[in-house]
Amino acid sequence: MASSPKTMNGSPNPKKKGSSFLGRKTRKSKEVKDSLSEEDLVKKGNISPEDTLRLSCSTENYLCSVDDNVYGIDFTRFKIRDMESDSVLFEIAKPTKEEMGDLPNSIDVTDPNAGRFVRYQFTPEFLRLKTVGATVEFVVGDNPVQSFRMVERHYFRNQLLKSFDFDFGFCIPNSKNTCEHIYEFPKLSQETMQKMIDAPFDTKSDSFYFVNGKLVMHNKADYAYNAGLE
Amino acid sequence: MGLLTILKKMKQKEKEVRILMLGLDNAGKTTILKKFIGEDINTISPTLGFNIETVEHRGFKLNIWDVGGQKSLRSYWRNYFESTDGLIWVVDSADKRRLEDCINELHQLLVEEVRGATLLVFANKQDLPGALTSQEIKEILDLEGIKTHHWSILPCSAVSGKNLLEGIDWLLDDVSSRIFTLD
Repeated sequence: MASSPKTMNGSPNPKKKGSSFLGRKTRKSKEVKDSLSEEDLVKKGNISPEDTLRLSCSTENYLCSVDDNVYGIDFTRFKIRDMESDSVLFEIAKPTKEEMGDLPNSIDVTDPNAGRFVRYQFTPEFLRLKTVGATVEFVVGDNPVQSFRMVERHYFRNQLLKSFDFDFGFCIPNSKNTCEHIYEFPKLSQETMQKMIDAPFDTKSDSFYFVNGKLVMHNKADYAYNAGLE
Repeated sequence: MGLLTILKKMKQKEKEVRILMLGLDNAGKTTILKKFIGEDINTISPTLGFNIETVEHRGFKLNIWDVGGQKSLRSYWRNYFESTDGLIWVVDSADKRRLEDCINELHQLLVEEVRGATLLVFANKQDLPGALTSQEIKEILDLEGIKTHHWSILPCSAVSGKNLLEGIDWLLDDVSSRIFTLD
């Protein structure tokens, strides 16, 4: 199992802490601005949440270093449940440090990007879900985090499937926090769904995490929907 | 059209409501949250941070924040006041020993911040023998003395789910009558 659960959560435009309605309105209109490429962002530096909301496809590379996460933020659990059938579809938890100690050296600790990437293999039925609840659990290190924000973008090739922008705001030092977003699955055409099933791992997501507006974590995932098929 | 009307109309478009749920530790905040959104309530442990649920209900986008109530965490509550539309204060109606604590924390909260937020008090754990009634809790907390906030109190049981929906619906009605225009 991959060690870093990936998130699919987020609400489209949650109330941003400290921002007025006008502020939110402004932020929304920014999203429809011209798109930016990965190259643009790398050239620009100081990548902001608004920048990542303008990406038109998944990035080739990670846009920050693993060392940028100086806050000890660590995702420890990820769960998806189907609200219609009231059943857990998927759950992945990171082993605790104690449990890790018992494992043989099965994880390549020399790879700095280990744990930043997760590969999911779902059945085609997954695309037909209507309402899901996606939960993430994360821990925070010894220092308070003033403003924690997540941007997550899901793409099939160059098509944006879903974009999340959620502001967690303040996080208590040494806290363990959970967040569940219950949302309608994006409605996709039959044609798009078939393409996604036929092209495993062309569906990708980028999760960007910001503390005080600065990019501190970037995780990636890809998805296949042909599990159980030939 | 005045500025207030414009703001109201803009907010109505998104119909977003931020609810903050607080109270002493072991009052049942997380159990209320989980029961409300239909999750298993048998594996709940003390909250050492926050639990957030974002869910659509009656056409509103609810963001519900449940922040841990242990003494060491209470000084952090203020970090979650901003933009709060509704405050849910949860009381363990069977924990008579700590009611004094409960009174002090609530009144400090109302003085300090959460200005303008609608207050709902859940007199929780009505399923337990010896639980005080909501009428008794109302008097002990001196709710009648609160003039700065719209408030209401309901007896509830997070375990059975009794009155949870009624409480949230009252909160939403009050918040929306204050914030959203009624077309």
